[in-house]
Amino acid sequence: MQMQEMQEKIRAKARELLQSGSVDCVIGYERATDGKTARPAFIYTADDIDRLIYDRTCVHNLAKYLLDRKDKTTAIVAKPCDSRSVNLLINEKQIVREKVYVIGTVCQGMPDVTWNQIGEENQERCQRCAQRTPVMYDYLIGEPADAVIPTFKDVEEMEGKDIADKRAFWQEQFSRCIRCHACRQFCPGCYCSECFVDQLDPTWVGIRKTTADNEMWNTIRAFHLAGRCIACNECERSCPVNIPLSLLNRKLEKDVGDMFEFQAGLDSEAAAPFATFKKDEHLKGVE
Amino acid sequence: MPSDGAALLPHVSTLRGVKDLTPDVKLFNIEIDDPQVRERFVYHPGQFAFVSAFGVGESPFGITSVSYRKDGLEFAVRKVGTVTSMLHELEPGAKVGVRGPFGNYFPLHDYKGKDIYIIGGGIGMAPLRPVIRTILDRRDDFGKLVVLNGARTPNDLVFADEFELWSEAPNTQVELTVDRGNERWKGRVALLPAVVKELAFSPYNSVAIICGPPIMIKFTLVELKKLAFSDEQIVTTLEAKMKCGLGKCARCNVGDKYVCRQGPVFTMAQIADFIEQY
Amino acid sequence: MSQVISKEDLIKWLESLLKDRTVVAPVAADGVTMFRPIARPEDVVYKPGNATLGPKECLFPLSHTIFTVERNDNGVSIVPDTMDREIVVFGLRPCDAQGFAIFDLPMLGDPADPYYKDRREKTTLIGIACNIAPPGCFCSSTGGGPHDATNLDVMLTEVSEGYIVQAVTEKGKELLQGVPLKESAAVPPPPPDMPLVPTDDIVAAMRRSFKDQYWSRLADRCTHCNICSYVCPTCYCFDIRDYQQDGKVHRVRSWESCQAPGFTKLAGGHDPRPEKGAKMRQRFAHKLLYFPEEFKGVLGCTGCGRCVRLCPVNIDIREIASDVQKIGGG
Repeated sequence: MQMQEMQEKIRAKARELLQSGSVDCVIGYERATDGKTARPAFIYTADDIDRLIYDRTCVHNLAKYLLDRKDKTTAIVAKPCDSRSVNLLINEKQIVREKVYVIGTVCQGMPDVTWNQIGEENQERCQRCAQRTPVMYDYLIGEPADAVIPTFKDVEEMEGKDIADKRAFWQEQFSRCIRCHACRQFCPGCYCSECFVDQLDPTWVGIRKTTADNEMWNTIRAFHLAGRCIACNECERSCPVNIPLSLLNRKLEKDVGDMFEFQAGLDSEAAAPFATFKKDEHLKGVE
Repeated sequence: MPSDGAALLPHVSTLRGVKDLTPDVKLFNIEIDDPQVRERFVYHPGQFAFVSAFGVGESPFGITSVSYRKDGLEFAVRKVGTVTSMLHELEPGAKVGVRGPFGNYFPLHDYKGKDIYIIGGGIGMAPLRPVIRTILDRRDDFGKLVVLNGARTPNDLVFADEFELWSEAPNTQVELTVDRGNERWKGRVALLPAVVKELAFSPYNSVAIICGPPIMIKFTLVELKKLAFSDEQIVTTLEAKMKCGLGKCARCNVGDKYVCRQGPVFTMAQIADFIEQY
Repeated sequence: MSQVISKEDLIKWLESLLKDRTVVAPVAADGVTMFRPIARPEDVVYKPGNATLGPKECLFPLSHTIFTVERNDNGVSIVPDTMDREIVVFGLRPCDAQGFAIFDLPMLGDPADPYYKDRREKTTLIGIACNIAPPGCFCSSTGGGPHDATNLDVMLTEVSEGYIVQAVTEKGKELLQGVPLKESAAVPPPPPDMPLVPTDDIVAAMRRSFKDQYWSRLADRCTHCNICSYVCPTCYCFDIRDYQQDGKVHRVRSWESCQAPGFTKLAGGHDPRPEKGAKMRQRFAHKLLYFPEEFKGVLGCTGCGRCVRLCPVNIDIREIASDVQKIGGG
């Protein structure tokens, strides 16, 4: 299905939902001030429907906004990656399934997009993405397409390096971190009412922004996302200093996949490995 | 407001005395080590200072002593966060830091000849105590003085050991109330706003100075307005998260007013005019 | 006639400056440009427009110890931080220099912040004029301009023979002593055009629109990620905390953003400004209302365009300035 047709279907469905009162708001995309890329849009009335667009610049994961609207019924436009975030939030009981109407869009990938700049080819993450069809939806737009076998080539390449090189690589990356925490603010999995980095008693990391503190921040956040990250890449997309955060998160995604045969966000009812206690579980190789 | 270039450097000071006022409030008496700085450290009721618990951080506290008595800087500190918890661990002799004085102050000279109604809830009595002491020390300059102090329980009345001294002064009344009494409490059990209504203060030639938790202020205000107090006659002192006290870290503002520079003392008329309403 | 320095002589000049000063200039790292101390003039990256992150850190570090508290036999002493070396910031743009001038207003206002003042006095600014204004830039709408030398010590403007050199201040003249300059008929190219952002009525418009629903609607898509505040040359909010290290207490100051959770939260948990809309409004009210009202009409924005280019959800101050002036019949 062409993007233009997808856009029309999104508008039609949004109009229907708002006019019938079944949702309070439709979260989708609209044109940004550069005239060519997209930005998130919140549509509250059918009069504003024509603000909604859908094209290859609609890279943002809108699922996180559902957390600000827990008591209201909301429709969101969700690409396959985004739909996994919605599943994650339902699985972790942060949102209620009945209060979300998912307008799922089949996706062939999107380019790197920043303000006024659209990349030539698909993002790297789209080239290795395992889903082309949303894993959950209330209304599907586009012909369901087959999933792609996921690859962790970039993670494996990093795994193959020796430890001194790995350390040097990450220290160089984290020396640029300005601790804006955009990665956290954009991540649908980061929703703690008080993040560990803001805690004062005890002070785990605090406000100092040395490379060592930055390492702590980024690696602990990655661990908190182990088994929960769905690699939507919002962290990396939003990072103003281009730290390859997704690489770190995906190392843990790969490990969790290998150890527990589990992938986050595919099933909203699944028992997540780090949120489930099993009496008869034991470490491999330990009696 | 200190205007030396070192306004972000605390003065090394010594904790001279610690007194338990309530289960979670202690009175600290602090002396600035450097005698010249101590001499120059003159402040007025309503002003605040930052006290540093070195190693943990700094917080702003209303100064509860009076400058002219020169018997130490006193702060009534409630244990509620990391800095206050650390301060509560300290013994006399410990070193702390003091920065200040900051902020504006109650314009007591404007209240001369007036009847003063001081209404304090819980730890809100701390910035009001120096007002009371100043009025008592210059008793003839002012009209009637009523101190209405409320707290959750009798054990939470912060300056309980000074009530007798205050009520002994001429033309001075101390009224107490608690939300919940205990076996020993023979006094009033009522919420502060209800007592304001009961006592029916007259707004004629009066000033009401109130300080306490936001909800207490909100409902006390309602009663004072019913008694026909105008917004100009009601004064309070605001609280805000602060880091510098100098208007530089840009976080204590309510709209365009910085609580550390244009405040913390404001009349209700000024607050009603704030572009941002909290 | 103008004074011109060739590109080769510029390199030699930087080499001589490197001998006894720290030179901070834009360097490249993984697709971004940031101001970092350079070891060699060749490390400097020249690209159109301003660097991804500006030189704000030079005068206002991302985080640093402002003083240490040490215990010794005499008791307790407080040792303030001072900068021990002169620094030269090279390659900043007029918008970045205007950022410093704006910083001076609260930071050097009585009582002056001693740490900022120390750094400011020990820093010389060598700027490069913009002959290209990338999309997003709007410095000519905020009281500055791409060829504006006002806030620099030395201004360089690129021409075919190298750079036209303009010594703006005494400090700049001093720095240029002994530097070979040639007389030239070269003239600066005309300053680049950029879209105009009307700001005449912005302060009054901010006041008029303060209670409008506009702010909470705008905040719908804001994730309070802090990027705008951190890349902004004029954002100066900070946090202060103590740490214990090497037997000393370090009081550390670091950048903080009014968008951060806990910015206004008091011990005990009460937060007077928890709503997204009020937080969003605080940012723009501070820059476009409170700041100009406190500082004689100077806007808290240099038009550098970084927030426009880097906001992941396109919260665009130019759009906001225009929208706000339409609210309330403006």
